[in-house]
Amino acid sequence: MNNSRIWLVVPPTVGLPVFLGAVAVGSFSVHVAVLSNTTWVADFLSGQELGSSATASIDGKVKTAAVTDPAAKVSMSSYDGERITVILPDGRHAEAVIDDPGIDLALEDRLREMAGK
Amino acid sequence: MADDDPNKVWPTGLTVKEAEEIHSQLIDGTRVFGAIALLAHFLVAVSTPWLG
Repeated sequence: MNNSRIWLVVPPTVGLPVFLGAVAVGSFSVHVAVLSNTTWVADFLSGQELGSSATASIDGKVKTAAVTDPAAKVSMSSYDGERITVILPDGRHAEAVIDDPGIDLALEDRLREMAGK
Repeated sequence: MADDDPNKVWPTGLTVKEAEEIHSQLIDGTRVFGAIALLAHFLVAVSTPWLG
């Protein structure tokens, strides 16, 4: 069989644990990387709809950033009076809806100014 | 040549036939592992947001 002669020079007692360990470490690290960069596993484990916490966290960032210090956390790309489209620092786009039409006029002016309108 | 002698015991204590046997077992195990992993990844892909 092809490559089988490796076991004539590499003891199976060494080679097999190294091979299986490499598979285990490799697959574990890939899965950790995937899970640490997604939110839907936490959603699944907590019984929520998959992807729901990602939307909530984006909304939270946008609202917090828009009300406190937008320039520090997001870059404003557009504001049409009801919706704010922002580009998050990691490149994702998010849209926040302003539910209250009686938004503070000073804040609205500031948002329009940031959006270049 | 001595390398072609099927009864030669190599430094690891194995003959060529024994090495081929353990290698075939390793290949079979890898195929089973791969098949199960393929099925598992397919199920994850269709049931979660993974891969979009």
